[in-house]
Amino acid sequence: MKMACSINITPNKVVINGKELHYTERGEELLTAIYRSQINDYPKFFKMDSLCRLGFVASELLLNGELDRFKPREDRAIVFFNSSSSLCNDENYQKTIQDKNNYFPSPAIFVYTLPNIVTGEIAIRNKYYGETSFYVLDRLDIESMEQIINDTFQDLTTKSVLGGWLDCKDKDHFEAHLFLIKDEETSNLPNWDKTIINKIIYSKQ
Amino acid sequence: MIVKIADNIISPLGFTTERNYQAVKAGESSIQLHKRHWGIPEPFMASLFKEGEIDNEFGKLHPACKYTDFEKAIILSIDKALQQTAINPSSDRVQFILSTTKGNIYLLDDKKDGFSKERVLLGVSAQYIADFFHNPNQPIVISNACISGVCAQITAMRCLQSNRCDTAIVVGCDIQSRFIVSGFQSFKALSPDQCKPFDVKRRGLNLGEAAATIIYSKKNRTDVDNNEWSVCRGAIRNDANHISGPSKTGEGSFRALRTIIQEKDIPKIAFINSHGTSTLYNDEMESIAISRAGLQSIPVNSLKGYYGHTMGAAGILESILSMQAVDDKNILATRGYETCGVSHPLILSNENCPTDKQAFIKLLSGFGGCNAALLFKRGELL
Amino acid sequence: MNEAILELKRQIIEVLNLEDISPEDIDENAPLFGGGLGLDSIDALELIVLMEKNYGIKLQDPAEGKAVFKSVAVMANYIEKNRTK
Repeated sequence: MKMACSINITPNKVVINGKELHYTERGEELLTAIYRSQINDYPKFFKMDSLCRLGFVASELLLNGELDRFKPREDRAIVFFNSSSSLCNDENYQKTIQDKNNYFPSPAIFVYTLPNIVTGEIAIRNKYYGETSFYVLDRLDIESMEQIINDTFQDLTTKSVLGGWLDCKDKDHFEAHLFLIKDEETSNLPNWDKTIINKIIYSKQ
Repeated sequence: MIVKIADNIISPLGFTTERNYQAVKAGESSIQLHKRHWGIPEPFMASLFKEGEIDNEFGKLHPACKYTDFEKAIILSIDKALQQTAINPSSDRVQFILSTTKGNIYLLDDKKDGFSKERVLLGVSAQYIADFFHNPNQPIVISNACISGVCAQITAMRCLQSNRCDTAIVVGCDIQSRFIVSGFQSFKALSPDQCKPFDVKRRGLNLGEAAATIIYSKKNRTDVDNNEWSVCRGAIRNDANHISGPSKTGEGSFRALRTIIQEKDIPKIAFINSHGTSTLYNDEMESIAISRAGLQSIPVNSLKGYYGHTMGAAGILESILSMQAVDDKNILATRGYETCGVSHPLILSNENCPTDKQAFIKLLSGFGGCNAALLFKRGELL
Repeated sequence: MNEAILELKRQIIEVLNLEDISPEDIDENAPLFGGGLGLDSIDALELIVLMEKNYGIKLQDPAEGKAVFKSVAVMANYIEKNRTK
C-alpha cells in the first residue's frame, strides 16, 4: 500500500504532510479556527460532537487538494480506530438523563453516542458510498491498525482508504493521525507501512 | 473457505443455540412491558434478562469473579461455544473479535459494584474478556452501530484470509440500560407495543439483550462437508445521506447487496434475513434496497419480534438462527407481521415456511448511514 | 419584534446550534423546515425536547410536530395556548 498524504492534529499542533500549519488557538478552539480558516461552508460542523469535529476538519485538510474532490465514489473506504470510542460525548448525553428532576434526554446528543457517526459525517460530506468502519482498541496499536486497514482492500471495490487513529478523550484532549492510503503498486508515493506510520505519529516536527 | 466451527446464543429465551432456535420456531418472544424500570419515566417494551439470571449461570462457570453483566454474558457465550470444539483459546493463533455498540455504558449511570470508570472503555473491557481465556492477542472491537455484528464477521473473514490467525472467535453483545433506552425514546423510535416488522401498523422497534458467538476457521474447499456452514462474501457500504435517517433510495444497502450477490446466485438463496427493525423508515428502506437489487423474488424475514433489536449481538444472533433454520429446512416466521406496509412488496410470512435451499443473506443497517450484507451457504454449493 | 417570538428564536438558535444565525435572520412566517436553516429530522426531535423542557408541552407523536413547527410564528402561537410552565 502507498501513502498519498497524512495529517496529525493534537490540541496544540496541526501538521499536514510533515508541514506545520500555525494557529494560536488551542484545544476545542483550534478545531473551530481550522474550520473557520479552511472550510467555513458547512454549518453542520457546529452540530457535531468533538470526535466528529476532529474527524471532519482532519479529513477536510487531508482531502482539500484532491482532484474530483466531491465526485461520488464507492471505491474509497473510511476506517478509523481509537480507544475512547464516543466516551467524550457519552458523558454529555449522560448529563441530560442524570438528574431525575431535570430529565430531558437529547436526541441531538444521543445520535453522537456511537463512534462510527464520524465516518458517516465524512461519507456524507464527500459522497463516499464505500465501506465505513470503526474499530476500538485498548491502546494506539500501530500493528493492528496497519493489518486491519490492509485487510480492507480484500473488498475488491476498495481502491483507497481514508484511515487512521481518531481519538477524543474530552473536548480539549484529542489526537488525529489520519492517512490517505492507496492500493497502487507502481506509483512514486512512499510505502504505507509500520515505519512510516510510526514516524508520522511520533516524530517531533 | 471460512467455515463455522461452533456457535452459541445467550438470550432471555435460553442459554444455548438449540434452545433459542426451538423457542423462535415455536413463536415465543421475550419482549415484555417494563414500567418505571431503571427510573425511566415512560414505560417501554424490551427483551431483558431476568435479574440475577446471568450471575447464576456465570457462577457455575467461574465463582466470585469481578466482571460486569456485559462481560459475563460474553464470557459465558464464548465458553459454551468453545466447549463444542477442541480449540485452545490461549493460543496465539486465536483472535478475539468483539461486536458491541455501548459495552459497559451503564457504569456511567450508577457506578456500582466498584468498577473503575475506565471499564466503560470498550478496549479495556475486551482485554478483560481476552485475559479470562488467557489469549495473548490484542482483542479487536468493532463498534459500527447496529451493523457491528456483521462487520465483526467480515473482520474475522479477512483475518483468516490473510492468515493472521487460524481461529476467529466472534462475539456480539449489548446489555440495555437507561442510557440506551432513553436515547431511543428521545428518537421516538420505540414501539409502545410488540414490534411488527414490515407491517402496515408498525410503530417502531423494541430493544433487546443478548450475547452470541460464532467461531470461524479456514478450510480447504475440498475438506468442507455438505452440512458445514461457510461465510462467503460480505460488504459494508454507506448511504452518504444522513447520520440517523435511512436513505430513501436504500443506497448503501442496495450497494452492499449488489457487491455480494450475482444473478446466478439468486435461485439458490432460501431467504434474506433482513434488519427489519419495525421502524417506519428502516423497513421501507430495506424493501427499496432489496427490490433495487432485483432480489424481490427471495423470501424475506425479520427476527426482531422474538428478541427485539439486540444491537451489537443482532448480526451474530440472527446469522446463527438463520443457519439453524436452513439446517431445519425452514424459513422462520416474521413474528408480528400481518399486512405488507412497505412500498415495494416483499415475500413475508408470519408462519414458518419450508425450504430446501442451502444459502441465505444477512442484511443490517445502522446509524451513521452504514449498511452491511453477508452471504452464507451450507456445504460446497454456490 | 414580539418578545415571545424573539425569545423562541433565541432558544431555537441555541438548542439547534445555529452558529452564525441571529434572531433577525429567521423570518418568523417562513417555513422552519425545508428552508434556508437546513434543519433535519434530528432538529425536529430536538424541538420536541425544547417544547417540553422550556414550556412543559409534551408532543407524543413526531407527526404532530409537523404542524406545530411550520414556522416560528405558528410555534409561538401553539406555545402560548398550551404552555404549562
